[in-house]
Amino acid sequence: MPPGPTAPGRKAAGRTSILVVASLSAASGLACWAIKGSDGVAQALAVAWGLFLTILPVLGAALLLAGFVQAGVAKETIARWLGAESGLSGLAIATLAGAATPGGPMAAFPLVLALAAGGADRGALIAYVTAWSLNGFQRILVWEVPILGPEFAALRFVASLPLPLVAGLLARRLPGWTA
Amino acid sequence: MTATGIAIWLLAAAAAAALWRRDRAAVAAGGRFAIDTLKAVLPLMLLALPMAGFLSVLVPERFAALLLGPETGLRGHLVATVVGAFIPGGPFVSFPIVLALWSSGAGPAQMVTLISAWSVLAVNRVIVWEAPLMGWRFVMLRLATGFWLPLASGLAAEAILALLPPGTVGR
Repeated sequence: MPPGPTAPGRKAAGRTSILVVASLSAASGLACWAIKGSDGVAQALAVAWGLFLTILPVLGAALLLAGFVQAGVAKETIARWLGAESGLSGLAIATLAGAATPGGPMAAFPLVLALAAGGADRGALIAYVTAWSLNGFQRILVWEVPILGPEFAALRFVASLPLPLVAGLLARRLPGWTA
Repeated sequence: MTATGIAIWLLAAAAAAALWRRDRAAVAAGGRFAIDTLKAVLPLMLLALPMAGFLSVLVPERFAALLLGPETGLRGHLVATVVGAFIPGGPFVSFPIVLALWSSGAGPAQMVTLISAWSVLAVNRVIVWEAPLMGWRFVMLRLATGFWLPLASGLAAEAILALLPPGTVGR
């Protein structure tokens, strides 16, 4: 398995995210003030404060749950699952492994590269990446449930549950790709 | 605290108890992960939440309902696909935007499509991460197998919503 990004690299990525969100937030704030005046800004900040109060108690528990799940399922376990099976069960396992992989693209893509080099099947890799992007458990727990609510998160989860499998099946029928 | 909050706290406690019986060091590792992530996430959240507030004031109700409302059908899902594909950044950007659109009259199924498009098509992520790391052939394979997924998830969400009593998923 290739080494993950170094700590400074990850820190730089974090700083970039903060800059991006800060400028988006400032731009929308400025637009709000220009169009709706200071009443609009006050109204927007009240909305934000209400959201913060809703999210905060859930966020702590969600982070702990994500942490315990991650500590229980090691990265090596995920890699072993992915290499082990072919056929439809291989795609199902890849889907589960993708959803269980926490973190952003800098965590998921290097794992895919390593698995491709180790000879994992194309359909499983596509199912894995698709499940990771559509239904990552950590993103659902930390962001989606607190911000959009459990009913919406469940609706979206169920609606996209079978899709990585189908994408994997399609990938097996398309012309090849090698890393 | 809401029922959701209580349920997730109970789940976290159950996970901790299960982990404690198997591997005590892992419980500490999980706790550290939570604290480290909180430190990384909190500044983003404090910036992203005002953005959600500003957007919910800015996006005119009629506009979101007109383009992405529950009654817009296939057209709304296609608009959601395009909008979602171009939203940059991580979940700290996209979810507040979805919340703002949703509270300004967009439909929940259309928002499912939008999040799927942001997840799967992710123009920004393809250019910054996926193409350099994986190569364009992999990107093409993934998009060829995945371009229809946002629409499929949105239509599946419509079907599920039709089975549920009205108002189950609402703002």
